Amino acid sequence: MTAVPVTSPAPAAIAIRDLRFRWRADLPPVLVIDALDIQPGERIFIEGPSGSGKTTLLGLLSGVLPVSDGALTVLDQPLNRLSAVERDHFRADHVGYVFQMFNLIPYLSMLDNVTLPCRFSRRRRARALARGGSLNAEAVRLLAHLDLDDPGLRARPVTELSVGQQQRVAAARALIGAPEILIADEPTSALDADRRAGFVELLFRECREAGLTLVFVSHDASLEGLFDRTLRLAELNRAAA
Amino acid sequence: MPILILAWKSLLNRRFTALLTLLSIAFSVTLLIGVERLRGEVREGFTNTVSGTDLIVGARSGPINLLLYAVFRIGNATNNISWESYQAIANLPKVAWTIPLALGDSHRGFRVLGTTATYFAHFRYSRDRGLALAQGEPFADLYDAVLGSEVARTLGYRLGDPIVIAHGTGDVSFARHTDKPFRVAGILAPTGTPVDRTVHVSLAAIEAIHVGWESGAAAPGRSPDAAQTRELAATGALTPKAITAVLVGLKSRIATFQVQRAVNDYPEEPLLAILPGVALADLWRLIGIGERALLAVSAAVVVVGLFGMLTALLTSLNERRREMAILRSVGARPAHVLALILGEAVFLTLVGALLGVALLYGVLLLGGPLITDRLGLVIGIGPPSPAEGLLLAAVVAAGVLVGLIAGYRAYRLSLSDGLLIRV
Repeated sequence: MTAVPVTSPAPAAIAIRDLRFRWRADLPPVLVIDALDIQPGERIFIEGPSGSGKTTLLGLLSGVLPVSDGALTVLDQPLNRLSAVERDHFRADHVGYVFQMFNLIPYLSMLDNVTLPCRFSRRRRARALARGGSLNAEAVRLLAHLDLDDPGLRARPVTELSVGQQQRVAAARALIGAPEILIADEPTSALDADRRAGFVELLFRECREAGLTLVFVSHDASLEGLFDRTLRLAELNRAAA
Repeated sequence: MPILILAWKSLLNRRFTALLTLLSIAFSVTLLIGVERLRGEVREGFTNTVSGTDLIVGARSGPINLLLYAVFRIGNATNNISWESYQAIANLPKVAWTIPLALGDSHRGFRVLGTTATYFAHFRYSRDRGLALAQGEPFADLYDAVLGSEVARTLGYRLGDPIVIAHGTGDVSFARHTDKPFRVAGILAPTGTPVDRTVHVSLAAIEAIHVGWESGAAAPGRSPDAAQTRELAATGALTPKAITAVLVGLKSRIATFQVQRAVNDYPEEPLLAILPGVALADLWRLIGIGERALLAVSAAVVVVGLFGMLTALLTSLNERRREMAILRSVGARPAHVLALILGEAVFLTLVGALLGVALLYGVLLLGGPLITDRLGLVIGIGPPSPAEGLLLAAVVAAGVLVGLIAGYRAYRLSLSDGLLIRV
């Protein structure tokens, strides 16, 4: 793994070249990244203080924000050339997303929350069905992997779950239908310190199993050592400098 | 459409406020369609206050004036028609029947109308409905009176009760014909027309109560008592010298204008003949503004109801920004977010409108007989008319507009929020 083969480079999961993002054409860019490559299956820890452009980078990677300048290629898809609707489709099909907290839709059951992405992506629906037989069975399987296999828990309104349980339900939702990329935006910051590593281990296990690329944003440096690589956004983003 | 399932589940989650919005729309639709239906019925009832009558003849004044006193018993005739002129009209070859009307006296605020038995035979209202007696018989004796339904109900009269007629038309009159009391011989069924507010007596009776009153007040010693008057009647001496107006029915409607011209050109006396339908329509145009105002007010109630929905939707948006960010994160497009809000608004409006119409039918089924009994209005329980359909369509269109307004706001919010969870 030391020598990078020049002739047949494995296609990067995420490739950035001369990326710029500005909120308005007449404003200075808030994010400038010259080059960044993330390989498939890599587990990346992105560390950066508030204001370093984390939210912006995640918005770009998930296709919610439009690229202002430069190239952003995710899974061979040039996001900088796709329309907003195409990027929304891309996100539905290929990206699982876990928020810091309040991940769940309060009026949906635990299983409906987990299977939610399958309502917006045919691809993930088909893959979930192929894997689990039915959407609910696949959701139950994923929840069991994340130590949420108590049927009594599933019957409760999701608003009654503990924060840790809610985050694991969110992880199951991000994993269903096997998207290639999992983006987690400070998913552990609402958890107790002694639970954080456990949650990350769970995520790792699932990512390894499905061959997912994990982009994990946090300012909790104690988790850093668990990852393949750490990106310091403050150094990477020249606009912040 | 999975987003509509989400919209439904989200609505169930907020079922209490959703129900309130639904009810406010339903009630306002009930009011709107109810008023529209009542309005048509009232207009129909009004322009059919008299039907089957081809001409109304009175002393020459204005058509509205003649209509007001001859049909609505409002105001007074400026002049009378002589009995000879009446006879001449009645004997015109094209005339099938006539109903002479003599007005001028009252009973506790209700007009007294002197007429003949032809009134009960030929008077028609509301598309050829004849007068029916709820109780008793038409007047047979000189001192028999037949009461309109409202007179009997308001004054609490029953068959056989004695009533005293006052001279003139004021409620409070010092000149009462107490020497010649009448007896309630019959009570008419409700018609929803001025007939309900009329006391009917025979023409001869009008003459009879005025025997000895030629000066305008009872002349002492010269006023005969009731028994003497009856004898007088038998001799035919109580044939009136003048009447107030005549309702004329023709053998053929084709002759209407010919007879009208003949009456208007009557050489012996200045007379006026009017077509009741035309005059009623003219009058309705004058007073029908109230009915249109009523519709406008009920339309305003619907607008208020829809504003309530808009408020509820916009208020919920702030609470639902998290929900929208989550939906966006799993791949929902901003258009999905718009559909979520629009779907809710359309659902509430459609179900509210249907519920409102169902409520109206319920009210009509339960309350219809009461309305017919009290007001003489028969409100049909048929399917919605085209006009009502149009109103319903307008309500739903306005609901869609409300949904689009709130949905567009949600769309903008979800574009700017992206995956930011704001709480």
